[in-house]
Formats: sequence, C-alpha cells, structure tokens
Amino acid sequence: MKKCTLGWRMLLVACIVMAFSLPAWAAKTIKIGVIGPMQSLEGRDHWAGATMAADEINAAGGVKVGNEKMQIVLIKADSNEDKNITDASNAMERLMTKDKVDFVVGGFRTEAVFPMQDIAMDYKKIFIGCGAATDALCDRVGTDYKRYKYYFRGTPFKSSYLAKTSIMHLLACAAVIKKELNAPIKVALVAEKLAWTEGMVKLIQGYVPKLGMELVGTWQPSANATDVTAELSAIQKSGANIIFTVFSGMVGITFARQAGEFKIPALQVGINVESQKDGFWEATKGMGNYVFTMNTYVQGVEQNELTKPFMDGYKKRFKGTPTYTADTYASIKYNLVPAIEAVGSLDSDKLVAFMEAREYLVPSGKVKYEKNKDGVYTHDLTWGPGYLTSVGCQWQDGKLVGVWPNNWMPDPKNYPNLKITYKGMVPIKLPPWMKKQ
Amino acid sequence: MDILITGLITGSMLALLAIGFSLIFGVARIINIAHTAFYMVAAYGIFYFSIRLGLNPILSMLISVAFVTLIGVLVYKFIIDPIREHEGAVLIATMTLAMFLQEVILQLFTGDFRSIDFMIGGYFTVAGYKIFYQQLLTFGVVLIMLLAIWFLLMKTRLGLAIRSMAEDREVANLMGMNESRLAMITLAISVALAGFTGAVIGPLMVLNPHMWMEPLIIMMAVVVLGGLGSIKGSFIAAFILGFTEALVVFLVPTGAFLKGPVALIIMILVLLMRPEGLFGVAFEEER
Amino acid sequence: MGLVIFYVKKLFKIFRNEVLVLPSRVVVGLFFIVLLGLPLVTQDPYFIRIIILTSIFAIFAASWDLLSGFTGQMNFGHALFFGVGAYGSAMLNIHFNIPPWATIPMGAIVAVLAGLIVGIPCLRLKHTYLALTTLAFPIILLGIIIALPDISGGELGMTGLKRITESLLGNYYLHVGVFLVLAVIMWEITDSNTGIIFHAIREDELAVKASGINTVFYKLLAFCLSGFFAGIAGGLYAHYMRIAGPSTLGVDQSFTVVIYAIFGGAATIYGPIAAVFILFPLLEVFRLWPEYRMMLFAAVVLVILLYMPEGLIHWIRDKIEKECPRCKIRNIATRKTCRICTANLD
Repeated sequence: MKKCTLGWRMLLVACIVMAFSLPAWAAKTIKIGVIGPMQSLEGRDHWAGATMAADEINAAGGVKVGNEKMQIVLIKADSNEDKNITDASNAMERLMTKDKVDFVVGGFRTEAVFPMQDIAMDYKKIFIGCGAATDALCDRVGTDYKRYKYYFRGTPFKSSYLAKTSIMHLLACAAVIKKELNAPIKVALVAEKLAWTEGMVKLIQGYVPKLGMELVGTWQPSANATDVTAELSAIQKSGANIIFTVFSGMVGITFARQAGEFKIPALQVGINVESQKDGFWEATKGMGNYVFTMNTYVQGVEQNELTKPFMDGYKKRFKGTPTYTADTYASIKYNLVPAIEAVGSLDSDKLVAFMEAREYLVPSGKVKYEKNKDGVYTHDLTWGPGYLTSVGCQWQDGKLVGVWPNNWMPDPKNYPNLKITYKGMVPIKLPPWMKKQ
Repeated sequence: MDILITGLITGSMLALLAIGFSLIFGVARIINIAHTAFYMVAAYGIFYFSIRLGLNPILSMLISVAFVTLIGVLVYKFIIDPIREHEGAVLIATMTLAMFLQEVILQLFTGDFRSIDFMIGGYFTVAGYKIFYQQLLTFGVVLIMLLAIWFLLMKTRLGLAIRSMAEDREVANLMGMNESRLAMITLAISVALAGFTGAVIGPLMVLNPHMWMEPLIIMMAVVVLGGLGSIKGSFIAAFILGFTEALVVFLVPTGAFLKGPVALIIMILVLLMRPEGLFGVAFEEER
Repeated sequence: MGLVIFYVKKLFKIFRNEVLVLPSRVVVGLFFIVLLGLPLVTQDPYFIRIIILTSIFAIFAASWDLLSGFTGQMNFGHALFFGVGAYGSAMLNIHFNIPPWATIPMGAIVAVLAGLIVGIPCLRLKHTYLALTTLAFPIILLGIIIALPDISGGELGMTGLKRITESLLGNYYLHVGVFLVLAVIMWEITDSNTGIIFHAIREDELAVKASGINTVFYKLLAFCLSGFFAGIAGGLYAHYMRIAGPSTLGVDQSFTVVIYAIFGGAATIYGPIAAVFILFPLLEVFRLWPEYRMMLFAAVVLVILLYMPEGLIHWIRDKIEKECPRCKIRNIATRKTCRICTANLD
C-alpha cells in the first residue's frame, strides 16, 4: 500500500514536472503578444501587420535561434483601451503572466500605454510600442534606463518631430499657393484641445510669423466636436488661405466635411489622423477632398525597396492601405526577428543591447535609435532625411496620393544639393474654389 | 448673428431630445439613460438603410424611426415593466441597455466613424454666415415636431391622459387610467422623438458607437435646468444652453472645447437659485 | 492562564452563537478567510492583480452606497471623488515628492473637500435633480484638467507615480487589507446611530427634521465620508496603476459604480462589494469571447436584474434567511422557530 502511494506520488510528480516543462520541450515557438484596441481600426491594423509578419516568417521556415528553427505564435489581446484603461492594463498583465509571451507589440492610447509599459518592464519583456507618439514614453527610457530599457518605439516618431515635419508641409503648401495665387499667406491654426497638441500649437504660433506668414487666429475645438460651423465662419472671415489642422479625433472628419461643404477657400494642411484612413472619403462624403495630412503609408509611394512588397502584401490580404499601427509588421519582421537570429537567444537583456545599436530598413524608412543628451539610449526613433520622414499626402478626387517630400531640401544652407523625393510623388493641388476668389 | 444661428440650431436639437426625455420622466418617473442610445440607433438605422441598402433617405428615415420605436416598446414590455416598482433597478436597467445597444452597434458597424448623406445638400449665406440647408431643415423639423407634440398633449384625449398622469399618478390611476399602458405609449412617443432627432441631425453628425454619451449629458442638463417633467421648461432651457455653447465658441475661440463644462456650470448656478429648475414643479408629495 | 482560557472560551461561544447561526455571517467570515489566505493557494500575478483591482473598486462601490444607498442622495458623478483622489495624490506625489503612503490619505482629504464643494450647493436639490446635477461635476473638472495640461498632464494623465511597494504579496495584502478595514469601517458607520439617521433621511427627510435632527449636517457628513472612501480608492488606483488619467473621471466610471451598487443591492455596503467581486472578475472571464465582452456583461446584468430587481444580495439573503415576524431577528431559512424569541417563523 505504501509502495503504491509512493508510486502514485512519483507519477504525479513526473506529471507535474512534465506539465511545467511542457513549454520547454515544446519551445519551438516564439510567443509574441499583440495588444491593441481590437474593436477599432488601430487595433485591427496592429493585428493585421503582426499576422502578416508572422505568416511570412513561419512560411519561410521560422526563426533560427541558435541551432533550431522556431515558429512564431501570435497572441491577440484586446486592450479595449479607448474605453477602459483598467482593462488595458489587465490585458497586458494577462499576456505577461497567463500567456507568458516573449515579446509584445502594440499599444495606442497614451494614457493606456503608460501602465502597459510599466507592466512589461516589471517582467523585463521587450515591448515595442506601435501607436502612441508621446515623447515621455521614451524619455523615461533615457532617465531610468535600467528599468525601461525594454521599451522601444516602433512607430510613429515622437510628437515633437511631428511639429517639425508639419512645418515643412506648411512651407511646401505655402509655396504652391504663392505660385498659383500670388497671395500673401494667412494661416489659421485649428488644433483639438488635448495635451499632445499643446507643444505644437506653441511652436507653430511662434514659427509662422518668422516664415513671413500671418497667423490670423487659433481655434481649439474639442477632439469629439460634431459641429465646427461656428469656427469655420470665423476662419472664413479672417481671410485665411491655409488652415493648419492638428487633429487626432473625430473632429478631423467633422472639420474636413463641413469645410468642404462650405467650400472654405483655404487649403487644410497639418495632421489629421482620421484622413489617413481609407474610410475618410466615405466618412466625409467626398467633402474631404484636398485635405493634406502627414501619413506613414500611401498607395503608390515608395520610401524604399521594402515599401512596395509590404503595401502589396497588405492590400492583397486585407484590401486596403495600412495605417501606421500596422507597423507591428516591421517591428516583428525587421526588428525582433533579425535581432533574435543574430543574438541566437530570446534573452531580453542580450536582445536589447543588440537591438538598440542597430540601424535597419523598414518599409517606412530607416530606423536608428536616439540617445539623449547624456548619451543614454532612449530607444526613440531618429527623424530626418535618410531615416524616417513620414509622407505628406493629399486627398485628390477620392484617392490619397503622396505629395511630399517632392524635391524637399532639408538643409538648403549646408547641403544645397540635397533634394529628397520619394518614388510616386505628385504635385499638390489647390481646391478650385480657392482660385475664384 | 453667428451666435444667434448656431444657438438656434444647437438649441433646437437639444430641445427635441430633452422633450422626449422629460415626457417619459414626467409620466412614468423613468430616468431613461438609454434615451440618447435610441437616438444613436436611429442614426445608424438610416446609415444602414440608405447607404448599405441604398433606399431613399426619407423612406429609410421613416423605417428607422419605426424600428427604434418598436425596440423601445419591446424594451418597455420585457425589461422595464416587470421591474417598474424598483426605481434603482429601472435606472441601471436603462444604463446597461445603453451599454448593450452601444456594443451591438459596435459589432454590427465596427467602431469606425460613419456619415450619412445630407437630405438636402448645399448651403446658403446669411449676412456672411454660411448655413447648411440641412441645418435649416433640422430647425424646421424640430419646430414641426414641437408643434405636433404640443397638439398631442393639449388637444387630444391621449394628451390629456399623459398630462394628468404627470400631474398626479395616484389620482390618475384611481380615475381608471391604465398606468402601465399609458407609460408604454409615452415611452414609445419619447423613443420615437429620440429616433427622429437622430434621423434629422444624423447627417450633421459623425456616427460612432459612443455618440450617445455627449448629448446625454447636455440633454440631462437641459432637462434639469428647465425643470423635470416640464415641456416648456425643457424647450426654453435647450435654447439657453444652446446659446451658451455658441457664445463660448465665438467669444473664446481657444476655449471652444470648454463649451460643455460652461453650459453645465450655468445649469448648476441656475439650480442654486431655483432648485426645481426654471419651470419645474416640486414633487413634494413623492417621498 | 485561566483568564486566557476564559476569553478563548468566550470567543468561541460568540463565534458559535453569533456567527455560525446565520449563513450570511458565515459567508462573510469565509470571504475574509479566503481573501486573506488566497496567496497560500495561488500567487499567479494576473489573478492577484484582478483581486487587487476588484478590492479597489469594491471600496469605491461601497462608498457610493454609503452616500446614495443610505441617504438616498443619488450621486451620478461619483467618479468625481475617485478622480479627485487619484489626481490629488498623484499631484502631491509628483509636484511635492511626498511618498504614496502619505499622499493617498491626503488625496482622500482633497476628495472630502470636493465632497463639501459638491455637497453644499446640492443640499437644496432633491431626488432626480440631485442625481442629474452631480453628473455634471466630474465633467466640469475634466474640462479644467484638459485646460491646464501643464499641471495635470491633460489627456495623457499624470505618469511616473511610484507604487507603495513593488512586491507582489506586499501589494496584495496592502490593498486587500485596506479594503477589508475600510469595508468594516463603512459597515460600522452604517450600523451606528449615524447610519440609522442616514437611513432615516432616505426614508423620510421631513420626519427626521421634525425629530430635531440636523439633516443638513448629516447629509454633508455623508458626502464627506463617501468622498473620503472614494478618494482613498482613487489614490490606491492611481498608485497601483502608476498613472492618474482623465479616464478616472469618465462618465463610464460614474455609471459603472451605480450599476455595481444597485446590482448588488443598495443600502447594505456588502451588496455593492459582493457585486464588484462578482462582476469585475466576470469581465475578465468574458475575455474568452473578446468581441462580445461588454455585450455579455450588459446582458448578464439585465437578465439578473429582471429576476432580482432588489439586487442580488437582497434576493439571496431572502432565500437563505428568514426574519422573525415578532422580534425582527434574522434566522436561517431551515429553522421553524426564531432562535431568540421562539416565535413561529412561518
């Protein structure tokens, strides 16, 4: 009897050991968590980009780690972050401790990404943020490198560079207006009232007069405004011919639609996140024509040789144009996997040391990680010619086309011959109702 | 002039929503949190019928209003009526109902932003201020609806019943009125009003599954400001808050995002002076 | 030595005669034991995290009950206190570098002030007016927060908060401990004279006034107490999540707490707590069907409500216990006669 119990016990122990080591001997897989608001376009693109990358890599035999080939397994986590921050953090915790993922990509709303980042750091797992642009996310890496070094920015570049790029766009548009209408440039600044626009608003208010343009006023509607007719009438009265927009929310649709309906004689330029999406034309009932926005991917525009295969692959599979959150693709395919293969291990610390020093091509440009003024890596993305610049694009008769950089001179003083043009650019068009006036 | 027009249009939208809400509260003492959710469902209904199925906009408007009213009646029969005696339960039933409708819409139409075509495109100019025909239409429809409601309440037997029920529930019940049936009819009217609002101003809005939250709050502010259960009060309060919002946008352009909070502060200030709202009757007896 | 044995015996007697006789008290006792002993069984961080957050929201829901359930002062803007507590302790922590164990109570004090600010103007308002007016306060505050991003962080929230302790078990016992202590305190308050006055105000304010009781004082007291507890919940939440964001003030937050409290059974304190302990983990279970999570949640609440409109706990309690018609003492449902006065129960 006693022997029997012992036997049973040993069997039980054996079972437990096997159960625990199950992940070990079945470890022909690398688990990557994909976290995002899966009910909206951003999260769907997180997932779409990641599945594309995983399928391509798995079809090619998997990831070579040391001597064995591993398959990638993706785990989808709906963060529900646009509604509930608690939910988002719980989803991250679940990925870390229930699903035991090796890496995480995704995240969108800054208020949710902060707690998610903290949780990933608690478990020392590499988290590549593919959606939030707030500077502070990566500033933390620089100030507390030991804790936050596992966070990398995957996309987009940080929001202080957004302002820089938008000013380039403003200049490009102003040049066209000057040439075609020969009118002095008057800029109306319309920014949704949120903290991320704060820095941009101040910068642009200070910068516009220096560029020889007149700033006729600043309007700050709420990000969810559904009626901006009041603002529009005031803008038209001010005589502005450029409306500089800084929108991430629903107001982007409202504004573009109502401005189009009213035929406000001004060109909209700047950032309008909603207008980056394929659904924008439908959502504005075609009234969003001639809206200019910063973007990451535009059909027909090629930043480098990797752009076209990615865009075509995405289009074939998901019928549309990827938005920037689909850069989970690049994060997995061009960042994580090459690093894992080169290091030959899944160890986070070793990978971080390798990843941060790398320079590599992604479909939207070239990635190089920044250091802060103390020389510590912040894992933030470098902006600039040759690296990531984003694309300026404009809605022209139902199609989003690339219009910038087109003969862009980033530094005319020092490098008068440096002109950058991405493949597939077309000229900027002005709304016809601007010309009549 | 700008302020006047914007205020009138915002005010009339609010009035239509608030009157429906006020009506059902007056008759049945139901705080229907799901009121604006019905408005959302109606707007999505039009989107579905006119854009997905390609029906005529007027027809799809009628269908979706009818559809929403039907949902309202079903909801009353199967959810609210059985638990009418428990005030708290009814309250959170309408809350969860709003959440439920939001999720259903989210599943059916995803969280992407949608738009509906204007019923009449284009705009006209008054004193340098541009107005959409759709806005004018909205204003017109609102006035017609308000007249219709007034007629219904003042000139018909049903209206008499509704008014007496709002005045004193117990006595009306003693006089042989079927309280439950009347509440159902009122709810149907109220939901139909919400549906109409959604149908009329839907084209001016961007549709998304969370669109019920913002108008809900301003609508409640209107109802409280005007005095609960008072149709006239809701009507006037709607325009007060509509004009307040317009004033904020025009006078403090960089503070346009504060229009909601400012309207709410005004509501609180008025309530401090008149705790029962502008035209409210204090329900002293109901404890 | 004899004294010790005497007390042990007395304790045992109390335990047998006061706790074991009623199933609800047994359940409460078990709840305490399970909650405190849980880490002995599992230390799964995900599970622990859910329990911690559940505890925080349970404090929040119970504090709503203290105000609205007991005094009947319907508060639709309870997130105000939660958010003020969260932002208050976050600001003190970040701008003045005060450690979290001190900022959380201080944040709660700020929430008490918020309770006064809301409470005083709302004294004149009644019933639905009050409910709908309170809804406005968090939204106004949200406007202020968005307007002053330099101080409040705007929509990005206040980040970089430190947790009180980094250890898993430390966090667990801290939050669960605070929750249990506060729950007992809240229950004691409602069981005391103050609680009876609160209850009376809900039933008939005029009569309470006529009895020479200063209802204004008690109503304000309810606002302050409730604000205090909700503020602590908010502070704990902010430091646990390491961020105080605008979502703590959201309308959803206000509505959810009302749903929790009424679903569980208002005016009981333990009702809302039970509801949070059922509904919050339920939301996590529904991750199995991620698309339909919220829909299932809403449907479950609706359906249960149809059967138990008084609230879950009231319904269950009535099933397992009976009230003696003569002396109003509760008895287990299986008894035929009252355990105190031996009156016939049926």
